[in-house]
Amino acid sequence: MSDQDKDKKTDWRDWVRESDDPARAFTKPEALDNLTVLDCSYANMAGCFATSILAEFGAEVIRIEPPDGDPVRSYSPWGFMNKGTGLGYLNEGRNKFHVTLNLQKPEGRQVFSKLAKTADIVVETFLPGVMDEWEIGYRQLSGFNPRLIYCAIYTYGQFGPMAACGKADADVVNQAYSGITSITGERPEDPEHPKPSEVPTRQGNWMGWYAGGAWASAAMLVALHHRVNSGKGQFIDVSPGEAFGRCINYGLTYYQGFKDVLPRLGNWDPGVFPYTYFRCKDGYAFLAGFSDINWEALCTILNRPDLRAQFPTIFDRLNPDNMGTMYKEIEKWTLARTYDEIYDAVMAYNKTGGKGVVVPGKVSAPIDTMKTENWWERHALQRVNDPHYGETIIANQAWKMTASPPRVKWVCRPVGADNEHIYGMKLGLGPKQLATMKENGLL
Amino acid sequence: MAKEDYFKWAESVLDPSMAFEKPEALADIKVVELATLILGPSLPAIMAEMGATVFKVELPGAGDTMRSLTPLARFHNEAALGWLKEARNKYHLAVDVHHEEGKKLFKELVKRSDVVVENVRAGTMDRWGLGYRQLKEINPRLIYIALSGFGQWGTFVERPSYDAIAQAESGMAWITGFPDKLPLKSGIWLADYFGALMGMVGVMAALAHRDRTGEGQFIEMSQAENMIRALDWTWLWQHYSGKGRERHGNRDVSICPSDIFPCKDNMMAIAAATEVQFRGLCTAMGKPELCEDPRFKTHAARLEEENAVVLLDVIRSWSAGKSSAEIDKLAGEYGFAAHKVCDGKDHFEDEHLIKRNFTCTVDDLVYGEIVEEGIVPKFSETPGRIKWAGRPVGFDNEYVLKRFLGLSAEQIQFLKDHNIIGKWVDNPPGRKPPASWDGKSGIKLG
Repeated sequence: MSDQDKDKKTDWRDWVRESDDPARAFTKPEALDNLTVLDCSYANMAGCFATSILAEFGAEVIRIEPPDGDPVRSYSPWGFMNKGTGLGYLNEGRNKFHVTLNLQKPEGRQVFSKLAKTADIVVETFLPGVMDEWEIGYRQLSGFNPRLIYCAIYTYGQFGPMAACGKADADVVNQAYSGITSITGERPEDPEHPKPSEVPTRQGNWMGWYAGGAWASAAMLVALHHRVNSGKGQFIDVSPGEAFGRCINYGLTYYQGFKDVLPRLGNWDPGVFPYTYFRCKDGYAFLAGFSDINWEALCTILNRPDLRAQFPTIFDRLNPDNMGTMYKEIEKWTLARTYDEIYDAVMAYNKTGGKGVVVPGKVSAPIDTMKTENWWERHALQRVNDPHYGETIIANQAWKMTASPPRVKWVCRPVGADNEHIYGMKLGLGPKQLATMKENGLL
Repeated sequence: MAKEDYFKWAESVLDPSMAFEKPEALADIKVVELATLILGPSLPAIMAEMGATVFKVELPGAGDTMRSLTPLARFHNEAALGWLKEARNKYHLAVDVHHEEGKKLFKELVKRSDVVVENVRAGTMDRWGLGYRQLKEINPRLIYIALSGFGQWGTFVERPSYDAIAQAESGMAWITGFPDKLPLKSGIWLADYFGALMGMVGVMAALAHRDRTGEGQFIEMSQAENMIRALDWTWLWQHYSGKGRERHGNRDVSICPSDIFPCKDNMMAIAAATEVQFRGLCTAMGKPELCEDPRFKTHAARLEEENAVVLLDVIRSWSAGKSSAEIDKLAGEYGFAAHKVCDGKDHFEDEHLIKRNFTCTVDDLVYGEIVEEGIVPKFSETPGRIKWAGRPVGFDNEYVLKRFLGLSAEQIQFLKDHNIIGKWVDNPPGRKPPASWDGKSGIKLG
């Protein structure tokens, strides 16, 4: 690369950082601050993540919880609580107003109907037909608010043979239904007697719910654009199981073509090899060298021209029987080195301008991820002092934007903390009326 | 109103078989894609499902490396399976943007478009004169998204990346899998697909901003940072406990019970978090007394390690004696969550997923009948749809240049003669039309 090109690169980075550094997000407008969202998600993090996205972009999100709080507030590792709120929810309460309302009672539903008259979006995660039975479903609400966008989230969706099955929605079930769990996990050494840890394996996080929430927010923003063009709202049905399932590399077409399903190969990829994690002296390192030219580069770094000669084509390297041999040989080299030594050796090769590229990476424990400066510099991780919950560490959305960036304004609120503010502002209800509502078990 | 009536109504407004009778939400949006592999190209694929016009620009000849990505080197009707996931509904253009004339064509497309999606190394597009700074001069309303491993600035900016690295460096791999095994990479390109999906959300938010203000903008997204955001309670837990988050197999330590249990014929995911769900599960197991046991009475009590272990063992013994169908039926009757671990065969045969068009059959003019994962959200007014499965390298050159740029036959011939535009090569596989192609089907304005 010429000096001139290097200057251009530095110039580009400086320009981008100047234009999108999240440190300056608060000087810029918010993309969705013209929207009011009613979120009555119940025991479901897909709904909560969907409205977090809208709230991070500036929407006024009103979380509607039952009088004793959404049970989702109890979802927390080993039951760890911060002032009565579990950590899963504490992480997704961001920028939302928190009110209580008893939708089990007709009077509560009337209050909800009034709020929905001027709302732009409703998100709900009850079993299909529950809101409709309560007469606060899309059919009823759209009658007096045709611009309303209504998103219902449920594992089996709002129609189809399983929609009325009555099963609950849970993250692990969304993951199992998606098809992805079946191809994630270690390959049994003895297929007849797999060990308990050689079984289909879910993602460690709530990936089914997060995929569902992401798709729901995508769909709502698509519907919003249609509303700008047509003035019309609409009804949206999102299944988190399908949402995660859409992320599969190749499920259905593989079965269609070969009347077979793909095996679980642990950290090996049936379409790219080597492309995997190796043990090293002080942890685990990722290395890849799949295409002929990158395989050559990897074998050069390892000083193993014999390996290159033994497995010369991608067809040799994609044979699962050969994968084990290659893996063991490469691991001999990684096991003799620390991660940093591996990284340096690979990057030194890449800089020589030799053939191909080998891409190294570190398998990081999240506790080490949290100690890595890059993520703080980029505001991927951020410390936020919350007036109620105290000091927190949260992850920010990854979008860095020049004109209307997302941001976190507050982390969470206790159950019902915004009743006075929201009911006063939206419905003109004062302290006396709220006290009566509370006596009647509505708040 | 009666529930039966609700389901009839829901089906009547959402039925995917009616999709082609309704408008498309993004029909007024055009997207130019200069991207390779998965993270970049999967983003416009989603927008194309919702009606956007997408111009995929790849190099003449071999095109996108993604056209090679297929499991165990098995192609389906000469198309790579990984590529099929992101090729749908796009116009496939092969233009050499290294060439000045190719750059001009790219800019002409951008002038007429709304969104640019790229995932080349940070700063490369700018160096080529095709970066946001140059393109906004010719289209101030442009929304431009640059996707990458580590973003456009910062300590890691020089580092190349892959999906597996984003899973690794974020901590996602570390918390997935069993304690006695290595950290586990997902069986899918998780950071790529989830990165593309979230990237699309960012583009849609920018579009909402533009709909209000007329102003375009630049967006950058790191797929590793996107994984960090998806790790739910990890950061708060580590902050408060001082301990690192580890992996716990299929057990969820924040919801109890929630695990994957062996049953007679399969592996079965079972969960019951709320009091109603838990009561349902205990009743279904014939052990209603568990709900009154102080060790299990509240979710807080069930989440305590020693209680959780006991409870999960009780469920494990019970599920071992039942078939997946029996447990499934009980879950519906008693309102807890359960589903067997599904694979491609299950999806292929699932009447529910077929009805919902998740299991979607595309009758393609070039590649024939393709069964693939279909449209996720079902919309009452603007349903998504798959119009075609994908096209060989450079297949739509003439159509796009004629229809969208108004080029004459002579101008197009000039571009061909000078190798500025081009078509597929026969090798590597995955670039050319399949042998079954008749030489004309699918050519627009042919």
